[in-house]
Order: sequence, then structure tokens, then C-alpha cells
Amino acid sequence: MRAEQLGLGLTADEIATVRRSLGREPNETEWSMIDAEWSEHSSYKSSKALLKLFPTTGKRVVLGPGYDAGVVDVGGGYVATLHIESHNHPSAIDPYGGASTGIGGVLRDILSVASRPIALVDILRFGLIDESGHSRWLFKNVVRGIADYGNCVGVPTVAGEVEFDDSFERNCLVDVACVGIAKKGGLILGEAKKPGDVLVLIGGSTGRDGIKGATFASANLKADAASDRSSVQVPDPFIKKLLLDSLLEVIESGENIPGMKDLGGGGLSTALSEVASKGGTGVDVELKRVRLREQDMSPTEIMTSESQERMLLVLPASAASSKSGVIKILEKYDVPYSVIGRVTAHPNLVIRWGGKVVADLPASLVTEAPLIPWPSRKPKKPVGSSRSRASGQPSSIQEALITILSSPNVASKRWVFRQYDHEVGIRTVVRPGQGDAAVLRLPNGKFLAIKGDGNSKHASLDPYAGAAGCVAEACRNVVAVGGEPIALVDHLQSGDPSDPEVYWTFREALQGMADYCRAFGLPVVGGKVSFYNEDSATGRAIKPSPIALVVGLIEDQSRIKTMSFKGAGESVFVLGETRPELGGSEYSAKFSVAKGAGAAPRPDPAVDLATCKAVLGLIEDGLVSSVHDCSNGGLGVALAEMAMAGGVGARIDLTKVPTTCEAEAETLFSESHGRFVLSGGDERALLAALRRSGVPHAVIGKVGGAALSLATGRGAARLRVASMKARFEGAIPELMD
Amino acid sequence: MKVAVVRFPGSNCDLDMVSALRTIPGLEPVLVWHEDAALGREEFGAVVLPGGFAFADRLRAGAIAANSPAMAKVKRLADRGVPVLGVCNGFQVLVESQLLPGALLRNSGLKFVCDWTHVRVENTTTPFTSGLRKGQVLDLPIAHGEGRYFLERPELERLEKDGLVAFRYCDEAGRPTSSSNPTGTLHNIAGVCNKEGNVVGLMPHPERAAEALLTPLGKADGSLVLSSLLVKRWRGGA
Amino acid sequence: MSVVISNKPGAKEPEGETILHDLVSKSGFAQVKSIRAGKYLRVTVTAPDPQSAKKLVEKMCNELRIFNPAAHSCEVSIGRVPT
Repeated sequence: MRAEQLGLGLTADEIATVRRSLGREPNETEWSMIDAEWSEHSSYKSSKALLKLFPTTGKRVVLGPGYDAGVVDVGGGYVATLHIESHNHPSAIDPYGGASTGIGGVLRDILSVASRPIALVDILRFGLIDESGHSRWLFKNVVRGIADYGNCVGVPTVAGEVEFDDSFERNCLVDVACVGIAKKGGLILGEAKKPGDVLVLIGGSTGRDGIKGATFASANLKADAASDRSSVQVPDPFIKKLLLDSLLEVIESGENIPGMKDLGGGGLSTALSEVASKGGTGVDVELKRVRLREQDMSPTEIMTSESQERMLLVLPASAASSKSGVIKILEKYDVPYSVIGRVTAHPNLVIRWGGKVVADLPASLVTEAPLIPWPSRKPKKPVGSSRSRASGQPSSIQEALITILSSPNVASKRWVFRQYDHEVGIRTVVRPGQGDAAVLRLPNGKFLAIKGDGNSKHASLDPYAGAAGCVAEACRNVVAVGGEPIALVDHLQSGDPSDPEVYWTFREALQGMADYCRAFGLPVVGGKVSFYNEDSATGRAIKPSPIALVVGLIEDQSRIKTMSFKGAGESVFVLGETRPELGGSEYSAKFSVAKGAGAAPRPDPAVDLATCKAVLGLIEDGLVSSVHDCSNGGLGVALAEMAMAGGVGARIDLTKVPTTCEAEAETLFSESHGRFVLSGGDERALLAALRRSGVPHAVIGKVGGAALSLATGRGAARLRVASMKARFEGAIPELMD
Repeated sequence: MKVAVVRFPGSNCDLDMVSALRTIPGLEPVLVWHEDAALGREEFGAVVLPGGFAFADRLRAGAIAANSPAMAKVKRLADRGVPVLGVCNGFQVLVESQLLPGALLRNSGLKFVCDWTHVRVENTTTPFTSGLRKGQVLDLPIAHGEGRYFLERPELERLEKDGLVAFRYCDEAGRPTSSSNPTGTLHNIAGVCNKEGNVVGLMPHPERAAEALLTPLGKADGSLVLSSLLVKRWRGGA
Repeated sequence: MSVVISNKPGAKEPEGETILHDLVSKSGFAQVKSIRAGKYLRVTVTAPDPQSAKKLVEKMCNELRIFNPAAHSCEVSIGRVPT
């Protein structure tokens, strides 16, 4: 059958390239394998060239991008592994299944490098839940899917972010990240190096679910999206738990495992081609040995199925017998397995059906999709712009602050994280709601801070600054709990790359992130790119949504900080300068902003580095009792959150805040980067230390009382902590329950 | 004292329980795979059934595990008076094995709830509460979707009269209010014990509160529950 | 054989209540007064006649505690559809 009749995702150029390179016409099975491998989701053909811009090395980096997980040294003989995944398209159709299989996928990647998953992070974007029943439905079921899967597998979901914006109405974004821990030297890579080694497929059986899932994720959502239901994979966290327990036991027992790879996008096709090409070898596989869920599957279907909960082990031939240590452990946990083939010296993927060869392709072909140099053009209007819902001026500072605190973007996400088991594993020291980032204890006596951030409104107005801003914000969040940022994984999400305006936005965002990371000294150890987040029916693209997930190291328990105001009488400080940068802010979503104040915030990595170092220094010197960074909703929200968390108010003098803004609403709600609020008992010592640091700072008030009082030149706005808390905590439950 | 921590396929708090028990001098936790012969062979001073999703909670939480050979062994040990503790999924298994009365139904909010709660100690005669005071308020976390205790009215009244409620959700001051009840569980019941007093089940996780570092207020109340095992050595155990 | 396991009348059944209050009633089906959710098992049995099949399944449900008698009621009926 000719390629053109097969409904592949490949372009005419790609089809021609394959024919030229092979010198013949591939058969149906071979076309499907190439289609899966060359899909955007698997091959990164639209982004690979640009991803080289990221800084990927550093003294702690053990493994950079290009593997199943990034790996960083955390000291004491241990390494942390990181990976981020997205399941945007499946979640838009089947939010429960899509989100839970997203968790399943990211766990598998962390497990496949032989590390134990210790934390999950969820970063979600939906349409406006206060306007759209559809978005409420997606939100509810995505959270339930993540909860059911993560809770069952016993890996805590410890941090996250939820953003609401009109542009995500049809294309919700579901990003999930996972952090793992392993002993240095215990890692296993996804490569088949030795001819003669055997290939063992373990875990769930192979069915028709998710066939062509990778291709599905590499195209815009169709109008009749529900018909794509078969493209969504089916989750089974119980089998995943058995895989996890059995593999970790195998690893701990010291058995030799030359290679391990999880089966994700593109199924068996991608897994086999990647282990072969990374190992410089080939494979010879008999598909009749694959355990099937449905009896009449064709070789093509078997090769492209994305049935979940499957891993590929590369084992020495001797380990494939039922007496081997590996097999005994798999059987103890009732983990199904089958030996499906072996590693060969000849670097081809030879796939057989009942002995007969049904596919024979060079391993290098399927992994070297030609890169696509898409044209780019600066858009006249920001990508993903929505109808503005802002109007007029607030009647008072109180009204502005309460409005913002009770808007879904800012309001407490307790409704979400209360559904996630965030304590299992007994490593959680700072839990959701307590601090800017999660903090977990590590087996080496140190602690790991974890946070993921994005801001699509900033990124839409100014992709370069907005993307850099995500990194800045994630770093600040890690620093606020006492962590020194050591590594980052990123995710860049956009619409259709064939649209030059979308592609321009993508390039700018990538450049912004790369430049910031380089200047800040933060290595990028992995990441993902997700295109085609667009709706064919409405032609609507999402706001560009770069995400940064940062991990930081805390050497000692005494340096762990949380955001709640701790004691009446303590002095409140602000660090960093506030500028009139209300573009894309929470304030500008509700109220009109003066022309001069509408720029999107631009982070300065040199300034941020100095400020972060200063905060960590103050923490180390024991001068600080609470720290919070300023981000969504600016200084106003930061102060309110510290008061609500501590159950105590503060008397603040806004005229003391270091600012170049003219209006007090601008000072209070601008989302300028590089700012922290902190409190401490020894005002003199803090002032002395801050003067030495050279960072702009000021004492702006004192902790105490039952209200947050914000004094301006003309009077004071007073908000009772209990009232703020009721609105802040009640906003989302009122919409969802 | 050797304490067996039983791991079923799908248990996910077993390693946490082993780790927590290890922090208590005098207790030697042993992780026992459910099919392991050690469960019937070795001398254990106590058995713990940890939290998780044994057998994926298929049919009903705890239902399949209750029918396993491992539970037949645990029943025999319980009959001899060996202290048995069921935490969360472990409590569900004990109820389905009929070592404890009642049933644990789906939370009335229909959602999984992970949060810190206050629980009041109601009965201090069991091996897991003998180190506590009646009325003492503990801070312990819960994390479950099916923790709503149920018994029909007459049986429930009898349970209360016989003093078989071990823990009750309450507010900071020890009052069992409706706002301190996270799941709609009847009478704010968080844990119960059997008539003989050696088998205790509770939904909150003491192993997650055994170290001050891991608790929001720096109180290691879970440790008080687990170390009660050493306060009064049970006649039946080693 | 059809086996339907549902909560005893005394036990609150939030799933059915939620479907009723949050979905059905709000969507204009005011005539629907009550919804109870439960579990349905379809059991295929080899037996000499329907009555003995029913007795066998009832025995199975009781002995193996397919339902928890403290909180559930269990109804076995002949045929694919519960009666």
C-alpha cells in the first residue's frame, strides 16, 4: 500500500526523504513505524535545532538532555533524576484517562533510568472555570485522574500550579513532572549495547488503546475530537505499582541489567529504535511473542500501540531463564513478561511475524527525522489573545485585593492538593500551602526543594521575557524555602509550528529561557516541546506556555523556611525594586491599567542572582523567620498570603516600598521579577546584612494584629485576615463543589 | 520486639511503616511479603497491616486481601492475642476479615482527602494506645477515599457502649464536631478495636507523624501510638 | 445471574445523591425522586436449573463476602438484568 493511502502524519517531503534514503517503498508496517518515530511528539523535528541553545552542563550534571531523565548530583553518593511530560491532547478529550496516563508516563521515565520516584508535580492550564462548565468538567476530572493514579502508586504529588485563561478552553494543558532518587553509579540507560543480549517486554499487555497516540499528539485537535477517543490510553496504576516494586527490588538486588527503556509515545516502535540506535546495534524481534490483550491484532497495530504500563528490559541471555534472579522477582510480584527478541550486531530493526520478516529498517533511519526549519514572523497581535474582561477602576485597595485573592488564578488551590496524597513516602517536610516550593528530605541528610512555574499571560505579551520569567519565578520559589537552585527541566508549549507567528513566539520563548538559564548559571538537564495545541474548529491557539521546573538543594534542616508570618513584632522587609509592569498581571485581568504601566515584567538574571544569593545568605545567618516571593498579584497578594498562612496580620507602609511606580495600585499589584518579602526579629542585623548585599530593600512594616493594614500617602486600607482567608479559600470550592 | 509489617501487592505505606517503627528503640520491624512463610513461622510481638491499595482495592477496599492465606495466618495470631494494627488500607482489610466490626465506605464528599486531623484517644487499654491518656488529642494525617465508618444503629450503640471506639476525629480542643469530621464517618469514628482489645484499626497514619520534622506543628504524635507497644507487653506475643 | 450490591438504607450513599442533586435535578428532570448507586456483577454459572444457580450465587456472595453485610445489601436475580 502506498504511503499516501495510509493516513500518515508524515508530510510529502518526509515521505520522499524516506523513499530516497531507503531506496525502496516501505511496507505498511514500516511506514507506521516511521510515522510514529517521526511524529513531532517523538522526534522534536521542529525544535531540535533550537534546543541546542540551552546550557546543559554544570558541576552537578550527571546526565543532560536526550535520555529518559535528567540526572544531577545531590551529594552523599546520591543523584536526583528529573523528567517532565505532557498529555495535553488526550486530556482535552478524556481528562481522567489523559491525566492519569500522563502521571503513568512520567513515572515510567524516572523508573526506567533505575531511580525511585519520590515526588510528582502537576502544572495545569484550563479555560475560565468561572465562565465555562466545560472547563470545570476538565479541571475536575484531570485532578481526579492525577489523584487516583499518583495516590495508588504511592508517589506523593507535592507541588503544582494551576492557571486559568480563555485560550485553554478547548486545549487544556496537563504537564506532570517527576523527581526520583538513586545511588550514584546505579543508573541504567536505555541502550542495547551488546549483540546477543535479549529483549524482554514486561508489564501490561498490548492492545488497541492509544494506537497512533504520538501522531495524535502531533496535530491540532479536530472538530469531532470525541471520535479520537481510541487514541487515549487506558491507565492501570496497580500494574505500575507492581512494576515499580519489582524493578526496584531487582535493582537493589544487584542483578545486571544492561538496558531499560519505558514504552511511551510510539510504543514498541520508538522503544526498540531508540535502544538500538543509542547502543549502535540492531534488534530481531518476533511479534508473536508479545502478550496481546486482543487476539486479532496486526503487526502494524502491535508496533504502534501505546498501551500503558509496559517496559523493555535488555538482559544478558542467561537472565532470561526462569531460574534467574530477575525472572524470580518478576514472578514474585506477578509481573507478566515475555522474551520478544534479541540484540543484533547488524544495525537494523528486523521485525518478524511468525518468523516471516514484516519490517526491516535501519535503526538510524527511524530516529533521524529531518529537521524542519519553519519560517517565523513577529505577530502583530499577541498569540492566543482573549477578549479582555477588565473594566474600570477598583473602588478601593481593599476591593482590588479581595477581587484578586478570590480569582481562581490566585485563590487557594487547596481544593486540588487535598485530593493528592502529598505525605506518602514520609519525605515531605514542606507541603502544599506551607511554602513557595515543596521540600522533601533525601537519604543523604540534605533536602530537595521542588517547584514548577509558568505564566502564559506574560509569555503571550512578551515571549522572551515571559519565558525567562518562568525560570526566574521557579528559582525564587525554590530560594524562598531555603534552596539553592541546581537544575531545571523545561517544557515549551505552543500552537501549530507551521504558523510563522506561533513559531516566532516559540523561538523567542526558547531564547529567553536559554539566555536566563545561562546568565543565572542553571543547567537544563531535560525537557519537552509540545506543539499543535490548537483547535482546528475555532483556529484558536493557546497562549504560549513555557514551563520551568526547578529543583534546589538545602544543606541543613535549619535553612528550611516557610511563608507564614511567625511572630507579632517582627519586621517586614521587601527586597528588590517594583516597576510599573502590569502587563499580563492579575490586576490587569480585572481592572484597566494606565498606558505607561502596561509592559510585561522583564527579569534581569544578574539582579535576580544577587537577590537570591542575598536571601540565601540571610537564611544561612539565621536572620529570617519567613520568606515569600512576589509573583501573581504582586506585593499585595504576597503580603496577604503570608498573613493568612500565619493567621496574623501586619501593618505595612506602602510608601516605603522601593518602587518607580506612580500609582499605589501599581506598586501593590505589579508583577516585577526579582522581589521577595521576608520577616525577621532582628531589624538592625537584617538591615546591616542587606546593605552589604547591595540589593534594593526597605523595612515596610511590622507583623501583628488581626488585619493586614496597607498605609498609603492618603490613608490605610484594612483587610481582616479572617475575611481574606474566607474569600481566598472559598473561591474554588464554591465553583467546583 | 519483632514487628511484622505485611506487604500485599499494592501496599504503598509498608516501607514508611518499617522506617517509622525503626525510630523506636526496642522495636525491630520486619517487612514480610504476604506469601512469605515467615508470617506463620516466626515469633512476632505484633503485626501491622499498612496503608495502600492492596490488590488495587478491587471489588472493595480490603476485600481481596481479607481472603488471602496471609490474613488466615494473621487471624490465627490475633486469636492467640498477638497485637494487630491496621492503618488505613490495613483497617479496611481488618474490617473485611471480620477481625473488626463494621464497614468503611466512600467518603461523603466523594473525593480522596489528604489532610492533617486532630484525633482524640478514646480507649487506652489496647497495645497501641496504652502509652496515651484518655481524651488526649493527637495530630495525625489522613489520606484516603474510603474512610467513612459505618455500622447500623443498634450495633453502633453497642460498639460505643462496649468502649470499642479507639480514636475519634475532633477539633483542637478535643471536641468531636462535624467540621472536624473529614469524611462523614459516623460518630466521628477514626479507629476502633475488637472486644479482646488486641486488634486496632485506624484511618489516620501514625507512621507519617513519627518524626517531628515531617509534621506541620513539630509534634511526633504518631510515635506515641507505635511506642505504646512497649508500654504494656501483651501476654500472647514475644 | 445478576448480582446488585448496594448500601443498606441506613447508610448514606453520596454518589447517588450527587448524581441526583448536581446533575439530574438541575437539568430539568424533576420527576426523578431518588437515585442510588451500587455495584453490578454479571455471574455466569453452570447449574442444573435457574433456582439452584441462584442459590449457588447467593451462597458465594455470603461465604466470600462479596458484599459486606455490615453495610451492604445484596440482591441476586436470574438473568442478565436485575429484577
